[in-house]
Amino acid sequence: MHSELIQRRSFLRLVLGTPTVLALAGCDLEPSSAGRLQSVWGRSGISDGRLHKPRAMTIDANDLVYIVDITARIQVFTTEGDFVRGWQTPVHVNGRPTGLGIDGRGNVLVADTHYFRVLTYSPEGQLLDTLGGTSGPGPGEFGFVTDAVEDSQGNLYVSEYGEYDRIQKFSPQRKFVLEWGGHGSEPGQFSRPQSMAIDAEDHLWVSDACNHRVAMFDTDGRLIKFWGTHGSRPGQLAYPYGLVLDGEGHVYVNEFGNHRVQKFTLDGESLGCFGVHGRSPGELLNPWALARDSRGRIYVLDTGNNRVQCIEM
Amino acid sequence: MAHVAFDSPWYLLLLAAVPLVWWSSFRSLAGLGRARRAMAIALRSVIFVLLVLALAEVQWVRTSDRLTVIYLLDQSLSVAPAQSDAMLKYVNEAIAQQRDHVRQDQAGVIVFGAESAIEIPPLDETQPIRRLETMVDREHTNLAGAMKLALACFPHDSQKRIVIVTDGNQNIGDAMEQARAMADAGIGIDVVPIQSVSVGDVAVEKVMVPGDVRRGEPFELRVVLNNTAGAGQEAQPAAGRLQLVRKAGGREQVISDQEVTVEPGTRAFSVREEIEAPDFYTYEARFVPQNAALDTVPQNNQATTFTHVRGSGQALLIEDYENKGEFDFMVQRLRAMNIEVAVRSTRPDELFGDLTQLQPFDTVILANVPREHFSDEQVEMLVRNTQSLGGGLVMMGGANSFGAGGWTNTPLEEAMPVDFQIKNAKVAPVGALAMLMHASELTDGNYWQKVIAREALKTLGDQDYCGVVHWGLREEWLWGGPRGMLKIGPYRQQMLARLDRMTPGDMPEFESSMVMAYKEFAKLPDAASKHMIIISDGDPAPPNYGPKGAIAGLIKMGVKISTVAIGTHGPPGSTPLKNIATRTGGKYYVVTSAKTLPRIYQKEARRVARPLLFERSDGFSPQIRYPHEMTRGIENPLPPITGFVLTTPKDNPLVEISVVSPLPAGQSTNVILGSWTYGLGKAVVFTSDAGHRWTSAWKSWTDYDRFFSQIVRWSMRPTAADEQGKFTVSTDIQDGKVRVVVTALDKDDEFLNFLTFSSTVVGPDMKPLDLEIEQTAPGRYIGVFDAKKSGNYLLMVSPGAGRAPLRVGVSIPYSAEFRERETNEALLQSLARVVPKGGAPGKYIDAPPKLGPEDRLNKLLEASTFRHDLAPATSSQSVWHLLVLVASCLFFVDVFVRRVSVSFAWIPRLASQVRNRVLRRAGSGDVEATIERLRSRKAEVTDQLKQKRSALRFEPTAGTPGDLESLKEGIGRPSAQPDDRETRPTSLAPEHEQESYTQRLLKAKKKLRGQRKSEREPPEQDTNL
Repeated sequence: MHSELIQRRSFLRLVLGTPTVLALAGCDLEPSSAGRLQSVWGRSGISDGRLHKPRAMTIDANDLVYIVDITARIQVFTTEGDFVRGWQTPVHVNGRPTGLGIDGRGNVLVADTHYFRVLTYSPEGQLLDTLGGTSGPGPGEFGFVTDAVEDSQGNLYVSEYGEYDRIQKFSPQRKFVLEWGGHGSEPGQFSRPQSMAIDAEDHLWVSDACNHRVAMFDTDGRLIKFWGTHGSRPGQLAYPYGLVLDGEGHVYVNEFGNHRVQKFTLDGESLGCFGVHGRSPGELLNPWALARDSRGRIYVLDTGNNRVQCIEM
Repeated sequence: MAHVAFDSPWYLLLLAAVPLVWWSSFRSLAGLGRARRAMAIALRSVIFVLLVLALAEVQWVRTSDRLTVIYLLDQSLSVAPAQSDAMLKYVNEAIAQQRDHVRQDQAGVIVFGAESAIEIPPLDETQPIRRLETMVDREHTNLAGAMKLALACFPHDSQKRIVIVTDGNQNIGDAMEQARAMADAGIGIDVVPIQSVSVGDVAVEKVMVPGDVRRGEPFELRVVLNNTAGAGQEAQPAAGRLQLVRKAGGREQVISDQEVTVEPGTRAFSVREEIEAPDFYTYEARFVPQNAALDTVPQNNQATTFTHVRGSGQALLIEDYENKGEFDFMVQRLRAMNIEVAVRSTRPDELFGDLTQLQPFDTVILANVPREHFSDEQVEMLVRNTQSLGGGLVMMGGANSFGAGGWTNTPLEEAMPVDFQIKNAKVAPVGALAMLMHASELTDGNYWQKVIAREALKTLGDQDYCGVVHWGLREEWLWGGPRGMLKIGPYRQQMLARLDRMTPGDMPEFESSMVMAYKEFAKLPDAASKHMIIISDGDPAPPNYGPKGAIAGLIKMGVKISTVAIGTHGPPGSTPLKNIATRTGGKYYVVTSAKTLPRIYQKEARRVARPLLFERSDGFSPQIRYPHEMTRGIENPLPPITGFVLTTPKDNPLVEISVVSPLPAGQSTNVILGSWTYGLGKAVVFTSDAGHRWTSAWKSWTDYDRFFSQIVRWSMRPTAADEQGKFTVSTDIQDGKVRVVVTALDKDDEFLNFLTFSSTVVGPDMKPLDLEIEQTAPGRYIGVFDAKKSGNYLLMVSPGAGRAPLRVGVSIPYSAEFRERETNEALLQSLARVVPKGGAPGKYIDAPPKLGPEDRLNKLLEASTFRHDLAPATSSQSVWHLLVLVASCLFFVDVFVRRVSVSFAWIPRLASQVRNRVLRRAGSGDVEATIERLRSRKAEVTDQLKQKRSALRFEPTAGTPGDLESLKEGIGRPSAQPDDRETRPTSLAPEHEQESYTQRLLKAKKKLRGQRKSEREPPEQDTNL
């Protein structure tokens, strides 16, 4: 039934909509011109394999997709959307995780946001380690944890917001090393650093969501560069929540506020956008996260539509 | 599966005209050639057929074998908690075991009591229900209502079945009637009866008090008990204690506590009682069994009744618990004037909780109390006490009263002679309130946000501005587009409707929304007070506290921000909210129960309503506008006051404005004392205070006592001093109905006949009920009203003009659910026997009660509720518009076929080339031939172009005297010999210069036709010759 609906709507849109749009908009299809939709999967629900306001996503080396939703379930899918397994965080009354990552050993890092900690799970869902758990400004204490990533040396970086917007670095033994940031809009400061990514040179890329920019740091927290301004035109950003790198000189950012994915050079030059707000395939509604598989395909966590869209950009 | 159907099949008769289309087309398209003509006729036929189908309103009908089962779970009080758990287990197992995943069968759950609610909408997934989240009124069973809701919930494209899990003891609605309606809709009904365990029970049926209780006269209180045995058991006497408690004036006294033995059946026990002081008395009887096994339903062990003995008038003054003593001076003076005044504060433990608690008082004085100290029910009680029971209601001023106290748009405002809003914008400085709503992860959080926003909006006046920022697709105003702060006046209803539809999203940060609010506040220079409220769990990113941030701007503008923290996740969530409130001078609230939220918002919205106060430190003297009973004996000038609360008199002839203020000059908002009759009672407003902040000069006024005592006395219920007869009222409860019997005697104990009684009844839900009292015998009048809900019913019976009204209370001690204790198998089996249209009858799924819980469950699960024995579901979709679209497209194709000649000459050539290539015949000869063909084609095209050019220029073509002949030839072979004319001399005869090219063409055409005709008829010509 779903596919019939899509066909009928697509047909009517094609027949009626395209000439009108072309006539009115002067053939400007730029916002979604940079990507090609590969597949759409996921369905609203709370049973296994279904998603309810999914908040974070990551993909491991075996191309398994990990998604956490507002029921605090971490569900594992194939890249085709087939449910593999799932588990739930120990407690979630206060709130649900909003960040997922994969460490160097292939374990799953869960930013358990409202419990001020980072949980490490085996890919099968066994809880291996807990970092933090205390709210506060001290070393090893956290506010709302948003993401956790590891560099090539095994150092762990944890981003947080709330009282203190900062990033803390921990050694491979999970000992506190250093912190940087602070709440604000000055260079080097953050306003909700929502997600992070590490590149091949161990540079830390941060999506500074409420400053509407992307920043790059070295492993000592020194700001190397940042770019991005608030807006909805190509090249501008509105609440960049998710961020991935392709190792070929490109940064992909999903914008919670602009309902799109944007491809940038490493210097912030926009190479195109994918998606406009909506509910049809190829359209997005408040996307929270991005991930990339081994074949270079980009997965967008289309939170408002409780689904995942796979694209090539 | 799918097929087509027609809504207007008679139009299909038009298809008989298809041959007509062929016939007419065959003649008119003769010149097209065979193939093109056939194609054109075919297209026309298809178009015609499509249009006929569209006229017949063709429907695309799909048949589905998917099944949707909705379980209706009885949650009324007659269902024990253990039974409720068992039914949940049954539903979980039935869905898990019986639902067909492949066919995508759906399952839903509805719970019901007096009303119904959807616990789980029909879904095609299996998720066990751990506990029922939906709360329904459990005091009654409305099975029909639940069935009706299920009917509305079914998806249209599936087979439908309901499974009713109940004891069948319905006491609202008619389930059988609804079952028949469902059967007509093809919905199957299965029934799973809850087997009630029938056991012995002692119930207190009622407490009876005589209708003519008088002060100092002993009377008998009778308590009726009913001792019943369980099914198949023999009734045994039940021993226990029978207690009788008297409640009056806030005191409780046990008047009897005795050991009794209740024999099987109905038994009555009497207690002698005497009333010494006038008051409103409540008697409560309680039975405590010695052996609990003989009394298994404790809920029906208690009953209540009321009686009222009138005395002199008594007033209740309610004061603000945060500002106690403000009205002490007035209370003292009223008491000095022989008015009994009881003072209660608005503290929850002091405030009335039931309408009966207001009955001892003849008037209620609200002395500068804000709205948020009262629940909605309490406000409703105050109004009903005046409107239906004749009690007085006096509202006195102060900064927390009227509109400034948040009473705007409440039922109480309706009961008052003035509106609490100011209609004239010139007088009323306006307020502006912005609300920031962030998606809440609290259970029902979004629901409560709507409630809060609605309450806040109601509290604001028409002249005030209000806006709501939330996260939709981005930060956006809920109404007004980019200009989100709108004047409420004309938009209040639309705003309330928008609030109902609001679904706040997860806002990333506070800053952007606060900037939006700042910008809108800046556009409202006429707003005297600006306020913002943020409701959140605190997890959006904190705002910018720096000099360039929104906070700094809002502080500069004088905007205070109050923050309400709901379910914050520790300091990271609560600290930003606390900081925002502290920095801007607002209040920070931590909420643990969402139910307290509306009060917070009412209080906050009241900050915006502050401009309703009118104050002048130099004072001004109110003036008596015209005489009234309340101002009798008082002359102008009145002592000066320094302030009052602005209100607007209601546009109603009953409203009397007795005292007004000279300021603000020339306005209608300067009411000081106003009154009217509201329903059976009287309502009075005094917008200033009584000797505190604004009327301190009045304390030394000689007429102070007279003024306020006359106000209070005027508002009171009529006293019984002018009684001209003896009336007794008795009540009797049976089968959910209360029978009211009034006996009327005159002072000589003669019957009073032909009286016209007017009466009102207020039920436990504060809603008025209909009661008509008619004469049935000399001096005897009877009326009946429905009393299905348990609780107190208060009656006001007025025997006519000049006679004091009679007040009576009736108590329905417990829910009807505790009366019927056996499963109504007859009804349930009838429901299961109903045959749905096109399907098989339902099943009565039962298991012997003697089985253990597990065995019983397994037995019940043997019958599948997901069996496919119902009529297949069909869903139809109108497709006429698509047919019209296709017909329109085909029409263009038809035109194309008829008007455009497509040459297929290239196909043989192409085929030849391909053949040569395949057979490797390629050679120089071929190349030369190709070049030759190209040359020839080029020449051909060039000639055609020249011809066209000459035709467009309307140049006379060069020709010989016989050029018409050549023209004819040209028409005869347009493409094969196009270049003849070019080579011929181009002289034209003078007579031909007058003819146009078209005329000549027509002539040539006619000639050619004539020639062809002559060629077709040679034998005749021969014969003629």
